[in-house]
Amino acid sequence: MNEVAEPGNAGSQTDNIFEREALADEPTIADAIRAVIFDRLSTKIAAVLVVVFIITAVFAPTLAPYDPLSQSILNINKHPSWEHWLGTDQFGRDVMSRMIYGSRNSLIFGLLSPIFAAILGVTLGVTAGYFGGIVDRLISRVVDMLMAFPELLLAILIAAALGGSFWNIVVVLTIAFTPGFARVARASTLAVKQEPYVEAAIAAGVSTPVIIIRHIIPNILAPIVVLMTLWAASSIRVEATLSFLGIGTQPPNPSWGNIIRDGLANMFATQWPILAGGLTITVVVLAISILGDSVRDALDPETNQ
Amino acid sequence: MTRYILFRLLDAIPTVFLVLTLVFIAMRILPGDPALTALGPLADQAQLAIFRERMGLNDPLWLQYLKFLWDAVHLDFGTSLINDVPVRDLIIRNLPHTAYLTIVSVLMGLTVGIPLGVLAATNRNKPADHIVRLYSLIGYAIPDFYLAAVLLVVFSLKLGWFPINGAGHGFWDGLYHIILPAMTLALLKSAFLGRLTRTSLLEVLGRDFVRTARAKGASETRVVYKHGLRNALLPLSTGIGISILATLSGAVAIELIFNRPGIGRLLIDAIHERDYPVIQAGVMMFAFFVVIVNFIMDLVYVLVDPRIRMKS
Amino acid sequence: MSKPLLEIRDLNVSFGTKDKPLCVVNDVSFSINPGEAIGVVGESGSGKSMTALSILQLVPTPPARVTGQVYFDGKDLLQLSNSELTSIRGKEIGFIFQEPMSSLNPVMTIGDQIDEAIMLHTDLSADARRVKVLELLRLVGMPDPETRIDVYPDQFSGGMRQRVVIAIAMACNPKLLIADEPTTALDVTIQAQVLDMMLDIRKQYNSAIMLITHDLGVVAEFCERVIVMYAGHILEDADINSLFASPKHPYTQGLLKSVLTLTEKQHRLYQIQGSVPPPGTIKEGCPFRPRCPVRMDRCAVEMPPMKSYGPTHVAACWATAEGVE
Repeated sequence: MNEVAEPGNAGSQTDNIFEREALADEPTIADAIRAVIFDRLSTKIAAVLVVVFIITAVFAPTLAPYDPLSQSILNINKHPSWEHWLGTDQFGRDVMSRMIYGSRNSLIFGLLSPIFAAILGVTLGVTAGYFGGIVDRLISRVVDMLMAFPELLLAILIAAALGGSFWNIVVVLTIAFTPGFARVARASTLAVKQEPYVEAAIAAGVSTPVIIIRHIIPNILAPIVVLMTLWAASSIRVEATLSFLGIGTQPPNPSWGNIIRDGLANMFATQWPILAGGLTITVVVLAISILGDSVRDALDPETNQ
Repeated sequence: MTRYILFRLLDAIPTVFLVLTLVFIAMRILPGDPALTALGPLADQAQLAIFRERMGLNDPLWLQYLKFLWDAVHLDFGTSLINDVPVRDLIIRNLPHTAYLTIVSVLMGLTVGIPLGVLAATNRNKPADHIVRLYSLIGYAIPDFYLAAVLLVVFSLKLGWFPINGAGHGFWDGLYHIILPAMTLALLKSAFLGRLTRTSLLEVLGRDFVRTARAKGASETRVVYKHGLRNALLPLSTGIGISILATLSGAVAIELIFNRPGIGRLLIDAIHERDYPVIQAGVMMFAFFVVIVNFIMDLVYVLVDPRIRMKS
Repeated sequence: MSKPLLEIRDLNVSFGTKDKPLCVVNDVSFSINPGEAIGVVGESGSGKSMTALSILQLVPTPPARVTGQVYFDGKDLLQLSNSELTSIRGKEIGFIFQEPMSSLNPVMTIGDQIDEAIMLHTDLSADARRVKVLELLRLVGMPDPETRIDVYPDQFSGGMRQRVVIAIAMACNPKLLIADEPTTALDVTIQAQVLDMMLDIRKQYNSAIMLITHDLGVVAEFCERVIVMYAGHILEDADINSLFASPKHPYTQGLLKSVLTLTEKQHRLYQIQGSVPPPGTIKEGCPFRPRCPVRMDRCAVEMPPMKSYGPTHVAACWATAEGVE
């Protein structure tokens, strides 16, 4: 066959290599977050909302006009007024103050459980991916099975078995989110393990813990960070659901979930607690997920649509 | 095909075994003293002793485990501590309601969600697409119990269009009672399925064979439905499986809010009443649902994808 | 001379924004007569596939913008509505794609996929269509068509799939067959078989063919006329004998020199220096200028117009034009 020499093809091949190298030189997480916040309008709004949420949670005692637990027989089922912006509930407690303190609860679970789940999941996933063999098969089987459960269902079932104290909820959420981290960490580890620099390190006799900590972990961090932001939104929602079902944060401690639970029991008298609690959960979860989506788009251009 | 089903059935056995083992670990080992967890810190020694005796908690763990497996395989869940009814009867009474709610919700979610996704994908980056994407974002963020509460307040309490609680009697009354709860779950599922349909369809519509279909002279409708959606069904069927299970977990809160009978409410009530055998059975039932739904979705996947069908 | 079957005038295809367009096809004009086989040659990125795809409006718009006229049987295809187009696609004009591995729907049997092309354009009964499908499968040299008709594409090799794609394109006996690098993705031995089969079909059906390729050998075997494209421009358009005997454009000369011939003793294959510029990098003047051995100052400013070198030979080059004058 008489082929026209195709220098164009050769050129595009080298182009591809350049592209690949550019991709390998991934943006750092700080870059990504910076890019994300200054990029899209929706992300900017989301970032502002998340900051407001965090400030509210941190300064709850200063911001809340009343003690969220103090009851008042004289002030039950009040509609919104200047004294009580969101009215009061059936025990005469200020709904606004309960919402503000509830944000603390949500922030704690939204931060703690993804962090714990990430630590546990990455440990399992890296172990499975790095060592392979029977360890991998065992971990993968359990992870696959747990992944078949929606995290909310898993959380409900574990909470049913363990009961709902503060630390139990942390355990519940951690277990519910661990499989996701484990699967991503395993897949990324398998990919990174093939990289020449890791193979070189193994060949040079670098010890296994050093390879894992110096080479594997830093290179699988990006998808883990993405997952953590997305799970932060999820864990706020799941904790609210558990509290709503009465198997999460126990009354009288305020949680957005049990504010709605109390509101529903009292819905004939006032609907403000339901409205306030639900809207807040929706807005906060939406804001964190938009932020999470943007972080993912920034760190992983390929999934960007 | 038959061989594939048999293979999948065999493969499901260790999964069931694993699920049962995890339930056993969660119920009997993790809490430390299951009797204390079950009865709460206020229970006295005598009550704890009676409970342990009754639940066989004094046996060695391995014997407990074997008995647990044996009972589970025989669908023997003991009797309720609260009203002395066999737990099996409670399950049989409540199961159809949960199944009914789940099936109606998923069907409603599919009929709304898939066309929404098609609409978004075929109008990419146009207003229709943006609206569908916003809808699916909000549908992801809004908690099901909140949406249920709002719908209940608006349509039942304020407008009086739908009943406030119960499951109704007979077919038509049952349908009347299920509309609002099913709609709650369906709205959320349609958001998820709409987003998933959009993504999968867009991916498929970008592939070469779609261009071949266009070059053949197929109309845009034919290209989207016959070639696009048919191929998008492969990733979609996984998503439908996920959304059935999500609906099932959502049903727990929905049953509570609309005061409907069902496995979810049975479980939650049992937790509040510390009815240990019912909790154990409820947890096991939900775990079984997951295994069964995954098994069925695997079979559906084979039906949808001729490549797997031909190989087996 | 008879009226051309297809006449393209000033076809432009561009991507990017209105203010910063990236043109991938620039002012392309040519025509194809009924029954004629023309070859369109050029390197990757020369815009030859884009030209072919825009004839049937198969380039997604947006993001692409297509302007100009494409007359087929007296109608401007670029002005037709989608439903008018569907009655031409597959019926009047058949299209063969480059990638046989991905050009077939994985969840439809190959019989159904060929059948779809017949069903869309005729009123034949299902049974009659099946007979026709079997006939087409035999035509494209599919062994054992009776069993293969109900098989899914992933059970076929690339060569077999490309035969199916050709059967789809030929299903309604089109007046024009556009083949976009139909053999590039295939093994060399399969390439020859598929080309022979296409030659046979051409003899039987007498369709006009627009064959897009980067392989001058294929063109020599198959076509009566050649169009040479580079960076979205047509540089030369000539009948096959005239082109091979006396190429007028330095780019065409380079292409012919880089072809391996067995008769002459060659030490090293000739290579055109450099590579095709990415779209948008050359705004004015001749796009081949940076790689041209005979470039002049004028080339940087003005795109040379088509100049005639005989009844069936035109080329666009300032240097050649001045040398001849």
